[in-house]
Amino acid sequence: MSLLEFDEVDKYFGETHVLKDVGLNVEEGEVCVIIGPSGSGKSTLLRCANRLEEIQDGEIRLEGTSISDPDADINRLRQRIGMVFQSFNLFPHKTAVENVTLAPTKVKGLKGDEAERRADELLDRVGLSAQADSYPNQLSGGQQQRVAIARALAMDPHVMLFDEVTSALDPELVGEVLEVMHDLADEGMTMLVVTHEMGFAREVGDRIVLMADGRVVEDSPPEVFFEDPRTDRGKQFLSKLL
Amino acid sequence: MAESYSEGRTRDGEYQEQFLNDKTLRRLGATIAGLFTLGVGGLVAVIIFTQVDFDLFREIIYPQFVEAFLRVLGIVLVGSLLSVTAGVIVGLGRVSNTRFTNAVATGYVEFFRGTPLLFQLLVIFTGIPAFWPPGQFPISEWAIPTAIIGLTLNHAAYVGEAVRGGIDAVPDGQMEAARSLGMSYVQGMREVVLPQAWRNALAAIGNDQVILVKDTSLLTVIAVPELISAFRNVNSATFDPWTPIILVAIAYLMITIPLGKVVSHLETRSDWGGDRR
Ligand SMILES: Nc1ncnc2c1ncn2[C@@H]1O[C@H](COP(=O)(O)OP(=O)(O)OP(=O)(O)O)[C@@H](O)[C@H]1O
Ligand SMILES: [Mg+2]
Repeated sequence: MSLLEFDEVDKYFGETHVLKDVGLNVEEGEVCVIIGPSGSGKSTLLRCANRLEEIQDGEIRLEGTSISDPDADINRLRQRIGMVFQSFNLFPHKTAVENVTLAPTKVKGLKGDEAERRADELLDRVGLSAQADSYPNQLSGGQQQRVAIARALAMDPHVMLFDEVTSALDPELVGEVLEVMHDLADEGMTMLVVTHEMGFAREVGDRIVLMADGRVVEDSPPEVFFEDPRTDRGKQFLSKLL
Repeated sequence: MAESYSEGRTRDGEYQEQFLNDKTLRRLGATIAGLFTLGVGGLVAVIIFTQVDFDLFREIIYPQFVEAFLRVLGIVLVGSLLSVTAGVIVGLGRVSNTRFTNAVATGYVEFFRGTPLLFQLLVIFTGIPAFWPPGQFPISEWAIPTAIIGLTLNHAAYVGEAVRGGIDAVPDGQMEAARSLGMSYVQGMREVVLPQAWRNALAAIGNDQVILVKDTSLLTVIAVPELISAFRNVNSATFDPWTPIILVAIAYLMITIPLGKVVSHLETRSDWGGDRR
């Protein structure tokens, strides 16, 4: 059993067939990088993984438990799946530390000081101890995204989903966020990462999954994918990058 | 702007900009506002010194106007509290995905915004007692409850629309972030969406509550002894218009101006770090 399993997943938006028979298994401790052209369904795949979108066929399982089952206890399952968004989505009416403590106190029932101690640890880990009491709009994009990562980690997720988390950032701020993700990967976090940062994909990824037109078209280790892709779609994609 | 002045003279295209630059506009605005204030102030002074009868003023201010003022203030306080509370519920109904809830809330808003408040007051004032056997309903004590019910029902529709607008203005990503952390829809609404929606809606709600204050003038029709009826009593007994007019103006402004202050205080309180970066 893999940690996160996509089993013949089909997803439609109305008539549009967006995910076509997608199968993908993410193993514990693995960093699985998803790449592919715009509109190929990368974001949709991630959003289905914590059921921000419903799937129409197939099954998605986390540690053997179905996420896509209508009767699934989704609020409980989501605690084990951290998600970081391209647009940060920090809560603007809460300070950095309050962003991090909100869910642990409301969902897990953690005591205020306990949650705060843990939040301080996490903010320290993403290098933002000094900004704990700042509101999101007093922070740079890179700082906001690092708070968002700390916020997701506060629920002690078993897997983290990252959807183009550096795409909205000024180029000079990308590095600080990738660094945090790199550290996280080194600590053994299971990660499913959609990114256009090929350097990161190559260095940190254990697997490169290429999506095109709603399908997984190649699934190779980075050495293989970036040196000598197994499929024509892989070769095509790579040639456009160069 | 100041810098572009010398350039403006050399290039025709910028002449306009130089003529209507920020400073000139601001001075012009200040001058007009100053003259206007002076004019109105002068007019009020003239009225007070030539038209107001100070003996009558002292005679009617207590108990008649003070009582009318306190009555209006009480109705406003209760009506505000109830209409804002009910309005939040209406707003939540308007954004509900449940078709039934949504339809009820929409119908509610359509009806109470689509018919005059005066009509609604008459419906409550005359319609409800009709369900009782003749003579059995305590009609004489029904005016104030009618006032509070009518103002609440009517303004809950407007507050509801303001709240709906406030909720709609919160990006979907906020609820998604809350849900992805394991929060329920209700928790996401309560902890994340509503505080932001409230901030977004504050100005519109404040506007509506000022209108609620002024809407109490309609209560004269259902015989609530409020400020307009106080004016009419004095005016018909003494034929003096300006003395009671000034009192009515003071009384309304004593409610609406502090109300505006409360709203702007609430707005600055939810500044959340402001715009500085
Ligand atoms: N809410 C939606 N309603 C309808 N169609 C949608 C919706 N979200 C996505 N789509 C469609 O689904 C397809 C896949 O979109 P998706 O956002 O998953 O692509 P992506 O691979 O993440 O692209 P990008 O690299 O641009 O982020 C696209 O054709 C898109 O137009
Ligand atoms: Mg995307």
